[in-house]
Amino acid sequence: MVDIEGSPGSSMHGVTGREPVLAFSVASPMVQTDTTAHFKVPVDSEHKAKVFKFYSFSKPHGLTFQLSWISFFTCFVSTFAAAPLVPIIRDNLNLTKMDVGNAGVASVSGSILSRLAMGAICDMLGPRYGCAFLIMLSAPTVFCMSFVSSAGGYVAVRFMIGFSLATFVSCQYWMSTMFNSQIIGLVNGTAAGWGNMGGGATQLIMPILYDIIRRAGATPFTAWRIAFFIPGWLHVIMGILVLTLGQDLPDGNLASLQKKGDVSKDKFSKILWYAATNYRTWIFVLLYGYSMGVELTTDNVIAEYFFDRFDLKLHTAGIIAATFGMANLLARPFGGWSSDIAAKHFGMRGRLWNLWILQTLGGVFCFLLGKANTLPMAIAWMIIFSLGAQAACGATFGIIPFISRRSLGIISGMTGAGGNFGSGLTQLLFFTTTKWSTETGLSYMGIMIIACTLPVSLVHFPQWGSMFLPPTKDPVKSTEEHYFTSEYTEAEKQKGMHQNSIKFAENCRSERGKRVGSALTPPNVTPNRV
Amino acid sequence: MSTLSAFFVVSAVVLSCFALTAYGALFSSLHQTLVLNSSPTQGQVLQSGEGQVTVTWSLNKSNPGRTDSNYKRVKVKLCYAPISQVDRGWRKSDDNLKKDKSCKYNIVTMPYNSLNNNFTWIIDKDVPTATYFIRAYVYDSVGEEVAYGQTTDSHKKINLFHILAITGRHVTIDICAACFSAFSIISLVGFFFIEKRKTKTSHQK
Repeated sequence: MVDIEGSPGSSMHGVTGREPVLAFSVASPMVQTDTTAHFKVPVDSEHKAKVFKFYSFSKPHGLTFQLSWISFFTCFVSTFAAAPLVPIIRDNLNLTKMDVGNAGVASVSGSILSRLAMGAICDMLGPRYGCAFLIMLSAPTVFCMSFVSSAGGYVAVRFMIGFSLATFVSCQYWMSTMFNSQIIGLVNGTAAGWGNMGGGATQLIMPILYDIIRRAGATPFTAWRIAFFIPGWLHVIMGILVLTLGQDLPDGNLASLQKKGDVSKDKFSKILWYAATNYRTWIFVLLYGYSMGVELTTDNVIAEYFFDRFDLKLHTAGIIAATFGMANLLARPFGGWSSDIAAKHFGMRGRLWNLWILQTLGGVFCFLLGKANTLPMAIAWMIIFSLGAQAACGATFGIIPFISRRSLGIISGMTGAGGNFGSGLTQLLFFTTTKWSTETGLSYMGIMIIACTLPVSLVHFPQWGSMFLPPTKDPVKSTEEHYFTSEYTEAEKQKGMHQNSIKFAENCRSERGKRVGSALTPPNVTPNRV
Repeated sequence: MSTLSAFFVVSAVVLSCFALTAYGALFSSLHQTLVLNSSPTQGQVLQSGEGQVTVTWSLNKSNPGRTDSNYKRVKVKLCYAPISQVDRGWRKSDDNLKKDKSCKYNIVTMPYNSLNNNFTWIIDKDVPTATYFIRAYVYDSVGEEVAYGQTTDSHKKINLFHILAITGRHVTIDICAACFSAFSIISLVGFFFIEKRKTKTSHQK
């Protein structure tokens, strides 16, 4: 199965994390190994790795993975670096609750646009320069924190630092140039999850740095400013490492990448149209706002919450807050894995129920977190909340590949943007007002999660059904081929543009669950003869 | 790994929570038996790190029937005026003194004396910009509050003064930040152009 090289959105294949064939490696008969190449890992004809070893630093594939996820991790660290230090910053800058909330909204809003632009930048300059440009140009914004002396400045700097979250796109794009599409799912899912952990790690790192700098003799209002130098240096160091050690392609050839990028075989406007007119896209944009979105929101508010509500020391609150984000190490891959298990038994209906259960559980425990009166209960509810929300993120991208084959890239991008939008919205609604306390805000957020997860029951595939409805009985419409090729006009089908969709349709027969055996060859579709 | 550390945190906290007592003395049950005076005048602005505050206190003799036999220690604190608590839930006043957050900064702790107490305090550098008054709590031998005195009235409207915080900024930090930022941009642009030139020359060959 070969992607139309360079077509808009093809770089995003694998972002979803759950392509139909999920494995650590690709067997040789499926994808031919290029025996003439001399890399440390077996590679295919494009010299993309066929094997994924998360501990590998081998040039170029393993090294690319490490550079990529660590850059993304660094940007998460700097975007949420202010959160655990808010108790100090709010006194230094005389902030009100509104200012703190607005800064949180600003920190996640910037990347809505920058993520969309990053795709184009990667197409133009390659993922290596895309990543390096973003991470090194956002380093000054991190250093700017030390200049801030007012609420307005604080909000502005957090907004600018938030742009760096677009490294998500460069990370995934870069992985897809280095790893075969059969294993890109796991590679990208791991890179995304480990990058997200930065939001948790920063809650641990920043208070410790602040403590050390204070013990070295700085006053509190100076110590937090100096602490921000460390994320800034990380940006510069990672940028330099990416530039010196990284390469765009396995063969290191940027020029041919530029040639490929010019060949765009599918029109962007068409792809956008099919993404926007598919109602399932919008349901998942909403849903992701209440899994990833609430995760980002909680990264921003949870340390301050524990500090204020339970009178903890700054670094104690940081440790507790860190466990929330660090759960991403396993929770997010778990969500995708449980989606695959559910699909094996119940098909797409299983995936939808799995997502609903995980996300609703997250909502329930977010509600309980707001109601907790003692520290042990609060920590317990917070951990289960984190597992639910983060597993739901993984489960979401277990379904996204099946919404559309033609517009997969754009739908993935829109869903990602929906996550950031949901985060901005929940912070604005629940954590920027003085009408209620943070714990009440958490409970309200829990209720909103439960309510906004209900629309998953509306997602219906004619060929696979939905949570409550069976697939349609119509013999033509109940085929995967019909669904995925309906995105092409007759004229486009004449040109053969839909061939990849037919291949994909054949491959995702397994989404019928246990009924796969009864799948008939659909009428009017000649089997693909290669 | 993360679940293990979470388990550790939870169990450590469960054990430590036995040490926490949520119930403390209520402010409304305290008697205002101390007369407290401080040097700042109404509306005076002081600079943290430099400004000086002199506090004097003594027992209010015009309260018959109130003995000071169980007064053991006095803690003088800097408290937020209501205007500095608006929109800032982390400075909220609470009748339960264990939960009250309005008097965060300690000026001095001294053994109790009914007469001639005074102390001159140089304002700490971590005091934020806000409007304040001064309150002293009297503790008994067990460490519980039994009485208080404050420089303002019960509505906290008179005798309030302002403190300006330090910015926390230093010229050295500013210069370092500017240097590192410049380094970041210049090295990025430098790499880009050097590599562009390299690919051009290698293409010409």
